[in-house]
Amino acid sequence: MSIFMQLIVSGISVGMIYGVIAFGYQLTFATSKTLNFGQGEALMIGALVGLTTINVLIGQSLGTFTAYFLMLPVVLAFGALQGTVVEWLGVRQAIKTKSEAGWIMATIALGIIFKNVAENVWGRDALKFPSPLPEASLSFWGIRIQPMEIAIVIGALGMMLAVEFFNRRTIQGKAVVATASDRDAAGLMGINTSRVITFSYALSSMTAAFAGVLVAPVTLTGATMGAVLGLKAFAVAIIGGLSSGLGVVVGGLILGITETMTGYYVSTGYKDVPGLVLLLLVLSLRPSGLFGKTTIKKV
Amino acid sequence: MKIKLLATVAAVVMSGAAFAADPIKLGLTGPFTGGSSSMGVSMRDGVKLAVDEINKAGGVLGRQIVLVERDDEAKNELGVQISQELVNKENVVASLGFINTGVALASQRFFQEAEIPVMNNVATGSVISKQFSPPDHKANYIFRTSANDIIQSGMIAEEAVKRQGFKKPAILADSTNYGQLGRTDLTAALAKLNVTPVVAEKFNIGDTDMTAQLLRAKEAGADVILTYAIGPELAQIANGMAKLGWKVPMIGSWTLSMASFIDTAGPNGDGAMMPQTFIQVPSTPKRKAFIEAYQKAYNVDRIPSPVSAAQGYDSVYLLAAAIKQAGGTDGRKIREALENLNEKVEGVVTVYDKPFSATDHEAITDNIPVFGLVKGGRVVPAHPEDLEGDKALRVKKKS
Repeated sequence: MSIFMQLIVSGISVGMIYGVIAFGYQLTFATSKTLNFGQGEALMIGALVGLTTINVLIGQSLGTFTAYFLMLPVVLAFGALQGTVVEWLGVRQAIKTKSEAGWIMATIALGIIFKNVAENVWGRDALKFPSPLPEASLSFWGIRIQPMEIAIVIGALGMMLAVEFFNRRTIQGKAVVATASDRDAAGLMGINTSRVITFSYALSSMTAAFAGVLVAPVTLTGATMGAVLGLKAFAVAIIGGLSSGLGVVVGGLILGITETMTGYYVSTGYKDVPGLVLLLLVLSLRPSGLFGKTTIKKV
Repeated sequence: MKIKLLATVAAVVMSGAAFAADPIKLGLTGPFTGGSSSMGVSMRDGVKLAVDEINKAGGVLGRQIVLVERDDEAKNELGVQISQELVNKENVVASLGFINTGVALASQRFFQEAEIPVMNNVATGSVISKQFSPPDHKANYIFRTSANDIIQSGMIAEEAVKRQGFKKPAILADSTNYGQLGRTDLTAALAKLNVTPVVAEKFNIGDTDMTAQLLRAKEAGADVILTYAIGPELAQIANGMAKLGWKVPMIGSWTLSMASFIDTAGPNGDGAMMPQTFIQVPSTPKRKAFIEAYQKAYNVDRIPSPVSAAQGYDSVYLLAAAIKQAGGTDGRKIREALENLNEKVEGVVTVYDKPFSATDHEAITDNIPVFGLVKGGRVVPAHPEDLEGDKALRVKKKS
């Protein structure tokens, strides 16, 4: 029993990481029906900027914990800036010309550029990120969990709640929701939809950068950390449904838990298979995702 | 001996002055950036150290050695391009390097076809030195100065089962060629000692959660974990064990000495053991001189990968001795000289007394490496008695 629970706990913490990245896909898809395929790279470069900042702060003889919190605003600002750049360079023109594939190539290309920049600035080694919380694991009824894993779950949920709150309770947030539900109508109502889309890209990369510094103490930081995580998160976004914030959280948990369960009860060699099978099943039975709203495209 | 050497040097210097002969061009390839760069850079620095020493002493045959350095980034396709460049454009006399088994296997055929000798000084895949063995090929131009995986897996099995008495090993290997070929070698080595691993688990490069693999090993009652993987994932294994509050010894291939494992696992990595051809300990005068020269030249205290640095350094001296014996830079003659080297070459790893023959291109035998142990961020000898007295210098067994 305790093994089963241990697997669930590990699955949740891995799944939460996937979910929080997938949340970024969902943000831009809602407003612009486009995705940033460089989401994994946004996470990676956010984590590396965070690493440099935190090391500078620790160099100023601050404690790791304080340094971590002082680093967060820098990383969030950097993420927002990075997302804005992606939207300006890669997506805006494609949306204007109603290009179906332009933004796909552009965001992939920007992702590769960010990765190369990171390789040149930070090198290609995996680097250790200082952990703000003790690294010794806690034990609850025989189930072991690292404090940082709890922080990932809390941080991810907190961030998603903050975004949801913003969307429902503030005037700018309502503009985002209006653009998401019908861009043309929102435009006619006087909402500057292109600015809303830019904003949603900034917000999306900001969540990715935050996710980066959240998971970095548990994983490792490096130019290649984004590739695998970005791909897994993409699968999560499809399983959960790209139009639902709740969907990506549940999708992340499903994928995380299936992975650890398969690893233990079937074979570690087939760890990734059930998640992908699930992805195919969802695509063939419910293409809009488990929690997605089915939209009928009127022609 | 000394007088003779001086005389040679003097003669060489004079002849050098007389002819101002062309330099001898050697290729030098390895990953100088990326995940295995700590090995590549240490190897390169070891090679450069040896080349500087030789050049200062007048070079080889009165000619200076010039290195043509290329970064293969551990990518097979880049290794292929570089090899073609070194062979066709740079016209190198011989080539040193290869850290990654995949790159070596993809690239060295260009040297073989052009009859240019290659000194593999770090890559460990068992097949590397046998890729072009006679009788299928007329002559083999691939030589090696590192401990191959059959030697390493044999040592790991021997250490775990015989020396430390573990009965239920679990194998954890990554899904690359390196990990999976190593797992096969390791299973075979254990079978020779009548031990079957309780589990053999797999993971991918970039995996961050090892809970499932470790729980399977734990539930199977494993008393030791044997690894075949590289630094970052090895660190995740050590950290994962600490997380689960389960600690059994880790014994694995020499990659457990990688800086990326030692630094990211921190205290969780202490106690990990691996075969090493060289440990940064001045156990012989030659080793002392090498360590001091390296520290002075590169201004570091800890050599990032001591094994790679030492093997790189030695590979240059072996090659230089062969070029001297061949009396020129003809690839075929250098190969023949390597296969029947008259001079005893005193290296850092060992004293090379006829290290190669026409059928044996491996300079290292299983009696040469010793076990290293991670302790406080460094690799130290696991069994200090292995390096005491006359056991410090281990030479190749005569076949």
